[in-house]
Amino acid sequence: MAFHHRPDAPELPDFSMLKRLARDQLIYLLEQLPGKKDLFIEADLMSPLDRIASVSILKRGRERHREKHQSAASCTPCTGDMPASKQHEVDKLYKVENKPVLSSSEQLCFLVRPRIKNMRYIANLVNADKLAGRTRKYKVIFSPQKFYACEMVLEEEGIYGDVSCDEWAFSLLPLDVDLLSMELPEFFRDYFLEGDQRWINTVAQALHLLSTLYGPFPNCYGIGRCAKMSHELWRNLEEEEDGETKGRKPEIGHIFLLDRDVDFVTALCSQVVYEGLVDDTFRIKCGSVDFGPEVTSSDRSLKVLLNADDKVFHEIRNEHFSNVFGFLSQKARNLQAQYDRRRGMDIKQMKNFVSQELKGLKQEHRLLSLHIGACESIMKKKTKQNFQELIKTEHALLEGFSIRDSTSYIEEHIDRQVSPIESLRLMCLLSITENGLIPKDYRSLKTQYLQSYGSEHLLTFSNLRRAGLLTEQAPGDTLTAVESKVSKLVTDKAAGKITDAFSSLAKRSNFRAISKKLNLIPRVDGEYDLKVPRDMAYVFSGAYVPLSCRVIEQVLERRSWQGLEEVLRLLNCSELAFTGGTKDDKAPSESLRLILVVFLGGCTFSEISALRFLGREKGFRFIFLTTAITNSARLMEAMSEVKA
Amino acid sequence: MDCYTANWNPLGDSAFYRKYELYSMDWDLKEELRDCLVAAAPYGGPIALLRNPWRKEKPASVRPVLDIYSASGMPLASLPWKSGPVVSLGWSAEEELLCVQEDGVVLVYGLHGDFRRHFSMGNEVLQNRVLDARIFHTEFGSGVAILTGAHRFTLSANVGDLKLRRMPEVPGLQSAPSCWTTLCQDRVAHVLLAVGPDLYLLDHAACSTVTPPGLAPGVSSFLQMAVSFTYRHLALFTDTGYIWMGTASLKEKLCEFNCNIRAPPKQMVWCSRPRSKEKAVVVAWEKRLMVVGDAPESIQFVLDEDSYLVPELDGVRIFSRSTHEFLHEVPVASEEIFKIASMAPGALLLEAQKEYEKESQKADEYLREIQELGQLTQAVQQCIEAAGHEHRPDMQKSLLRAASFGKCFLDRFPPDGFVRMCQDLRVLNAIRDYHIGIPLTYSQYKQLTIQVLLDRLVLRRLYPLAIQICEYLRLPEVQGVSRILAHWACYKVQQKDVSDEDVARAINQKLGDTPGVSYSDIAARAYGCGRTELAIKLLEYEPRSGEQVPLLLKMKRSKLALSKAIESGDTDLVFTVLLHLKNELNRGDFFMTLRNQPMALSLYRQFCKHQELETLKDLYNQDDNHQELGSFHIRASYAAEERIEGRVAALQTAADAFYKAKNEFAAKATEDQMRLLRLQRRLEDELGGQFLDLSLHDTVTTLILGGHNKRAEQLARDFRIPDKRLWWLKLTALAALEDWEELEKFSKSKKSPIGYLPFVEICMKQHNKYEAKKYASRVGPEQKVKALLLVGDVAQAADVAIERRNEAELSLVLSHCTGATDGVTADKIQRARAQAQKK
Repeated sequence: MAFHHRPDAPELPDFSMLKRLARDQLIYLLEQLPGKKDLFIEADLMSPLDRIASVSILKRGRERHREKHQSAASCTPCTGDMPASKQHEVDKLYKVENKPVLSSSEQLCFLVRPRIKNMRYIANLVNADKLAGRTRKYKVIFSPQKFYACEMVLEEEGIYGDVSCDEWAFSLLPLDVDLLSMELPEFFRDYFLEGDQRWINTVAQALHLLSTLYGPFPNCYGIGRCAKMSHELWRNLEEEEDGETKGRKPEIGHIFLLDRDVDFVTALCSQVVYEGLVDDTFRIKCGSVDFGPEVTSSDRSLKVLLNADDKVFHEIRNEHFSNVFGFLSQKARNLQAQYDRRRGMDIKQMKNFVSQELKGLKQEHRLLSLHIGACESIMKKKTKQNFQELIKTEHALLEGFSIRDSTSYIEEHIDRQVSPIESLRLMCLLSITENGLIPKDYRSLKTQYLQSYGSEHLLTFSNLRRAGLLTEQAPGDTLTAVESKVSKLVTDKAAGKITDAFSSLAKRSNFRAISKKLNLIPRVDGEYDLKVPRDMAYVFSGAYVPLSCRVIEQVLERRSWQGLEEVLRLLNCSELAFTGGTKDDKAPSESLRLILVVFLGGCTFSEISALRFLGREKGFRFIFLTTAITNSARLMEAMSEVKA
Repeated sequence: MDCYTANWNPLGDSAFYRKYELYSMDWDLKEELRDCLVAAAPYGGPIALLRNPWRKEKPASVRPVLDIYSASGMPLASLPWKSGPVVSLGWSAEEELLCVQEDGVVLVYGLHGDFRRHFSMGNEVLQNRVLDARIFHTEFGSGVAILTGAHRFTLSANVGDLKLRRMPEVPGLQSAPSCWTTLCQDRVAHVLLAVGPDLYLLDHAACSTVTPPGLAPGVSSFLQMAVSFTYRHLALFTDTGYIWMGTASLKEKLCEFNCNIRAPPKQMVWCSRPRSKEKAVVVAWEKRLMVVGDAPESIQFVLDEDSYLVPELDGVRIFSRSTHEFLHEVPVASEEIFKIASMAPGALLLEAQKEYEKESQKADEYLREIQELGQLTQAVQQCIEAAGHEHRPDMQKSLLRAASFGKCFLDRFPPDGFVRMCQDLRVLNAIRDYHIGIPLTYSQYKQLTIQVLLDRLVLRRLYPLAIQICEYLRLPEVQGVSRILAHWACYKVQQKDVSDEDVARAINQKLGDTPGVSYSDIAARAYGCGRTELAIKLLEYEPRSGEQVPLLLKMKRSKLALSKAIESGDTDLVFTVLLHLKNELNRGDFFMTLRNQPMALSLYRQFCKHQELETLKDLYNQDDNHQELGSFHIRASYAAEERIEGRVAALQTAADAFYKAKNEFAAKATEDQMRLLRLQRRLEDELGGQFLDLSLHDTVTTLILGGHNKRAEQLARDFRIPDKRLWWLKLTALAALEDWEELEKFSKSKKSPIGYLPFVEICMKQHNKYEAKKYASRVGPEQKVKALLLVGDVAQAADVAIERRNEAELSLVLSHCTGATDGVTADKIQRARAQAQKK
């Protein structure tokens, strides 16, 4: 029942090279500040850093320091083996947080994201040292790149001359064999809400890196404004460094860029595929999850890496949750049978068993019990929240029937203060599927929400409206006027008013029409067999084919946007879909079945599962590049205004 | 062949020297060379003449003229000298003319007589005047050494990076040295000077006396000294007509010669070939030229005219009013081939080829002879090498032909050497042409490299030739053609008489999209010449918009720069321009500019949000963006203000803004929040506890939990809390208090708007089955089954379900039936189902 790829499915490129590159660059940067130093790491960078370089690589390999480090920064991951050969003389590790710094080192190194907040943190530290008459060396390493605004702040704070700045171009973290993440969750809010385009350059750089390492992409498709801009910037980069990728054989045949705002619906749905459900329930962070005591059935939390190396997880990650329990218990029985083989073994066989199989079995046993624990915990939580009702409402919204009932359900949800994020999500789902709320509901739901969760959410609503996630239905005739205005503005490139147009004017989501056009709601006679899925809809219990994945499927089938004009119009993307690439006839056929999908603004595990399924059906392999892994809660949190 | 060696002169046993004409000069000099200051740049460089130097007898009214010629005597520039008296002229390594004035000011001119810059050699020099000056070349560049009227030396080793060094004093020096020169040892410049019979070496710190080893006795003064091109050797000419030649370190003597001429020579220069064992010096007097070396006899030439010697890497150039000649030691390969009766393989091959052309069988004999000795490869190589050292194309050709002929009889002879020599000679012949006038020898050309040669052609504005050479040699575009075109364009923009349009068009036509050409560099040059409009036009051709921005900013075209920056997609660049604009424009204009550039605006807003909140407010104000302004104040009410009054005031401002934005909903909500805040404050004062910043719902809940039911109801009325919410709220709160009595009272206060199922649920949540059952009976028929199941009354649930004939409910009940206890019920349901199906 697990996902097995067709025998003719192409091999995935080796992405571990990206890790090595990033690690070597970081070590090089650290060596630029010779001697002992304390390293301050921004919390957001700790997990990604942990994935590419163990603390031992950064630190001296001596026991003494290890103890120190644990006491100084308990938050930092510490891995066991400590080869003494590599010494980059990082003495202690600290987390960048708003606490007084007690470092006594003469050299301080900061590893941060390019955020103004961090600049002020560093400035305070340096200025405090200055007041105390202390001189130290400071170095700021920006990842993935430095922004002029940051240097500006350093200058305004009067410490530009005191610190040296560097860039650590670590923009692609391989989370799994087929999943690269830029680990930039703020991309979503920065671009889709604030209209801030600075990360686009980072995306272009990342794509450029990929094409340098893995050859040019013969076919390129994209949809969305951000996708288009990234593509253009990336092309410029390639042109500037002409010749480097020339003559290289393409390893990956297709690249598909997609903006998150093309499909908000999918991201807003509750996930029911195992990996997605684990993410929704426990939050997978940088490819690993913290299972609490209720899962581990001990008194400790356990950090578990979730990827293809986890054999148990690998087999259930893409499965609908309803199948997982059955699978796990079957697995448990098999395991028991294997253990049981011990009986009736002679000494020699036993020796073999212990030396060769036992370790693997034990490992499997451990993983199995973990995932069973996780399943139980998920079940418990979901029954408590009346998950069935919730899913029913979601499906009703997607299919567009008994809207009134759904609205009442949402209202009750709000009245009972079930969860601010969940309530918000349902409101948005209602708005997008219905082309905006009718004015009466728009007002009443918002009023209810403010009464339940506090009136600061007035700002949240303003954000949601700007992003087009929660809007009010405009009266019929003005809509077409707005629409024509939008399309006019879009063509009027020189004016550069595009950003304004899309941020201020509510776009119609047209979900219903798109759904019909692309056949997103499968017609089912009888029960949808989730054990033997027949289309991508299985990731939502057979009720809905993810829009994003369907668009990708359609384009790949046609190798162009031809015939999808109407869909594009409905998606408000008529001008924003493109095809390109280096049209290389010599591309090996193997590569043409490898497809890199780039999600700008994040992608969900459900989408990944759906595309993995599609790949298996058609003999493709998909590779995913996302600005960050997202889900409905993360989307909503990005839009929420919380009190400072 | 015999006549070919006619101009070969033997010096000693092993070396020949030959002198041949490079050009006949028709520069039409009116003056004698001796009346001029002369400077000729090495590597076949230009010649500068400054006529009418400041001689006592000349009338002051005649303005001196500075003329610059190519080595072939083609005039390059001529300009009247307007500055002060000049002591010395010299060329720098970049072919800039350095004119050292008497007052120590050095004026720098370009090849075309364009004034570049000037610098002074310091105060001491200014005060004591310049007595003598030398321009010399080191590996760092070109230096100037000055002998002042006070007999002190000042020098700078690199005029590009001027650092003046005053050399130490020579003790007891009363008069000017009889001769002096600069030496360059261990990357440091020294001065060697002769005073009477003594030689002094000046370095940074000290002055030391030096004695050349093996110097013949009886010297009372040195008349001339010469240091070789590479600073390795030194020659001294004494008043006894004796010439000493040795290493520049003065540690070793190479040879000596006594010419018995006591008259001081006009010039003495070294004439040696790199890597040659032979060392020779050329000494010139008024009418006589002598080549002396390690041989008892010297070579003598008669000088018909006043001549000037220019030392070169591998020989000496000699020019006069009518001719320009080159004197050098005959290279080994040429010597081997052309020496009379030479049996060297190269010579035989040349002979063979000649016979072959004559269709004589001798060709075969010669060839066999070479082949028998197994020297054919060597022969071919000799011919190729010798061809390089020939000045006359016909000789080059015949040697190359011989090489080519020989090659035919060789297997696998690598062709590169031959091909490269053909190419090099073609280039050399082209630049040696009379019109170009750069008489480089092959060795000089190799030393100079093709890149420098191209630079020099560009400097002479010989763009087409340079491009042809690049194309001919197939140099990569970026190093070759593009670079030259860029230089050409930079020259083109300086032509002030051509209109901006024409220049821009001409440049674009020539350059097109040639890779490696930076239009922004050319534009920068245009701007440097004061042609801003042209610069903007040129920038239009720059494909990388990022490159356009810095120059546009420099030209104060900030708004254009902003749109270019936005086009580039580089947010950092946009930000740079923004800050520039912010400082350049007043606030109003700045905001107006932003308004037309949404991308820049959002970027700036993001920055302000974190760093300059007040500016953000101003931005919204400027735009009349009341909606955002309202949001801004709301945010401020949470973040910035501590006191309730302040917060309420901020909210009031926000509400006003929302009204202006016609967002009644937000305005009303904000007003409600103000009311709530005030109320919460009052509650805190009156009841104690925490109320501030709770939501309305939570406020009411807290009141109920605190037992203030009246207040809670009042609040609910005031804020028009809908019934449904109120019921949920009360239900949850009372259950939490486990106040079952009050709950029951409440349930009976009127018909529940949310039904009674929630009552059941909540009681069960608190594990109060008894209470739950009370409400289960009141649940409406639609949800009755659910309620009954909740309280665990499976049997009754089954009854209801059967009564309602609801299939879904039936299966729900069935799924709750467990094993033995509910066996009866299950059967019942199954029966009912069967019945229903029958019907």
